[in-house]
Amino acid sequence: MRRFAALAIALAMSVSVAGARQAPLPADAPVRFAVIGDNGTGQPPQYDVARQMLSAHAAFPFEFVVMLGDNMYGSQRPRDFFNKFEGPYGALLRMNILFYAALGNHDEPSNRNYPGFNMGGQRYYSFARGDVRFFVFDTNLMDPKQVDWIDGALKQSLDQWKIAVFHHPIYSDGDRHGPDIALRVLLEPILVRYGVDVVFSGHEHVYERIKPQKGITYFVAGSSGQLRKGGLTPSGITAAGFDQDQAFVVVAIDGDQMSFQAMSRTGTIVDAGVIARRGES
Amino acid sequence: MTQHILPAPRVATSRIDRRFPVRAIRFVLNRFLLLPIGAAIALVWANTEAEGYFRFAQALAFPVNEIGMAFFLALMTQEVFEAVMPGGALHSWRYWSLPIAGALGGLAGAAATFFLIVNLRHETVLSQAWPVAAAIDVAAGYFVLRLIYPHRNRAMPFLLVLAMVTDALVVALVVVASPDFSPHAGGAAFLLAALAIAAALRHGKVQSFWPYLIGAGTLSWLGLYWMGIHPALALVPLVPMLPHDPRPREVFDDRLDDQPVHYGEHEWNGIAQVALFLFGLVNAGVILKAYDTGTWTVIVAALVGRPLGIMAFIGLAVVAGLHLPRRMRWGELIVIALASSSGFTFALFMAAAVLPIGAVAGQITLGALSTVAGAAVTIVAAWLLGAGRFAMPKGAR
Repeated sequence: MRRFAALAIALAMSVSVAGARQAPLPADAPVRFAVIGDNGTGQPPQYDVARQMLSAHAAFPFEFVVMLGDNMYGSQRPRDFFNKFEGPYGALLRMNILFYAALGNHDEPSNRNYPGFNMGGQRYYSFARGDVRFFVFDTNLMDPKQVDWIDGALKQSLDQWKIAVFHHPIYSDGDRHGPDIALRVLLEPILVRYGVDVVFSGHEHVYERIKPQKGITYFVAGSSGQLRKGGLTPSGITAAGFDQDQAFVVVAIDGDQMSFQAMSRTGTIVDAGVIARRGES
Repeated sequence: MTQHILPAPRVATSRIDRRFPVRAIRFVLNRFLLLPIGAAIALVWANTEAEGYFRFAQALAFPVNEIGMAFFLALMTQEVFEAVMPGGALHSWRYWSLPIAGALGGLAGAAATFFLIVNLRHETVLSQAWPVAAAIDVAAGYFVLRLIYPHRNRAMPFLLVLAMVTDALVVALVVVASPDFSPHAGGAAFLLAALAIAAALRHGKVQSFWPYLIGAGTLSWLGLYWMGIHPALALVPLVPMLPHDPRPREVFDDRLDDQPVHYGEHEWNGIAQVALFLFGLVNAGVILKAYDTGTWTVIVAALVGRPLGIMAFIGLAVVAGLHLPRRMRWGELIVIALASSSGFTFALFMAAAVLPIGAVAGQITLGALSTVAGAAVTIVAAWLLGAGRFAMPKGAR
């Protein structure tokens, strides 16, 4: 019965996705970026996704990439930074596309000092592009100092769009980990209070978009290198999901609208849509 | 035939009924079982209504962990202090040398195993959780050994010293290595004032615990908090000043004796027991899906790394010239080493102390809870090795 329900939701999703395919992302949007998560395997699927990102860039020239953590799996010696990052994304790096990373559970904490991840040596930080500010957290260890920083940084931000980026999802229908509810209880009131519009997370090796929860849209994009095939069991909060192949997301923000497309390793658009800015609460 | 409707058996039944709850409560309190009960409730709650549970737990975490646990840690320290003072069960230093070697080995074994796995798995973000793997639940170890050795046995003081020394070392290392530790003058002044008040009370032969607690305890708590040291340790430095008498029987022997200070301690025990229950309730709730590398790393470090470290260091100490306690066999040492593998209470305390909310805390807490499996492993090992109550009768050999 549960499988039939999941199939029905998947079919409903594919219909909405098919409609969304008609609208390409605005290549002239002031803020354009890609999102990858759980990518640093150094295995062929990661390279395939990277090649697909390069193809997507030709049609939609995103300016930077947000990494959702687990940027490196396994050993993290200098040669691994080539095999698992500089190698696969070399063409994008040569185009001066910057990568901004969040730390996942497989990342060495010292990787925050790696220049290619643009973390400025910090576990948590923020950066802005146009009217959009990104707040990157380290959800491995949400110490009081970090919580104070999040509260202060979000409170001070006057940016039109506020996007939070962290590894462990607080909403997810993934089978392996599911949502981190202790984190949700801690973070959600702050995110809601200061008008965060969108949250990107990884950790669960699938793609999923969650229906707005208290006004915030949540994306799980943890399959840009790793994949847990069939690892998603959609529920009532699932807006869209894809667990059959690796995927990444491209996003354009123009004024009060954020357009997005989730693409599979083979270039199929598996989800697309437009999100309106939530504005100050 | 006379028909008895009910009156005759009622006397006996009511006697049983009346005694059973009292016995059950005493059993639960004497064995510090309120913590596992709180932990069990927390586990069920977190896995059925997670959001409500974590809202409750996060709201109560500070008062329970930073204030309530001060009573429990003080009680444990008081038990130990009375046991090691002249006339106490563990006073003689001959009890100490080999268990200290074991404690050092167990600490090294657990920590080394933990770091080894974390590095092999390339999940060094888990590194700061090593004290969870190294901590020993003194009470759990004691009661497991009591099951194996129902009568007085040298294994008991051996384990108690080993466990207490280990936990003291873990706390000291955590305090010194804590990034929040800043021994500045203000906090130190508060602590010194607390010690002075406690010394004055002792000099005035004040027998009640409450003046020590309210006056000196509050200042000590503030001093430690200010210096970035876990304030639940606030009453520990005051324990030597408290009124006490030696504890000639076992450390956790809670039979009331005729010492007035022990009645006071029993009063305190009630608060500590409530604190323990709330501690389990607030900290042990973890969603079972949080199981990850950190979970089994804690289990392996506690159940394999620590016993191996204990045996290795004791072996080295014996080679260096120390002697095993009289009539203690190596098989019994293996049982003692395994009995130390349960970290439960103290591991949970360490997890709450060194890990903030986050993904690491969930998986490590699950590991800390799972170390109770050490109790079953110990009993099986005792059975296999013929230790204690499992020893074969002479004629059967």
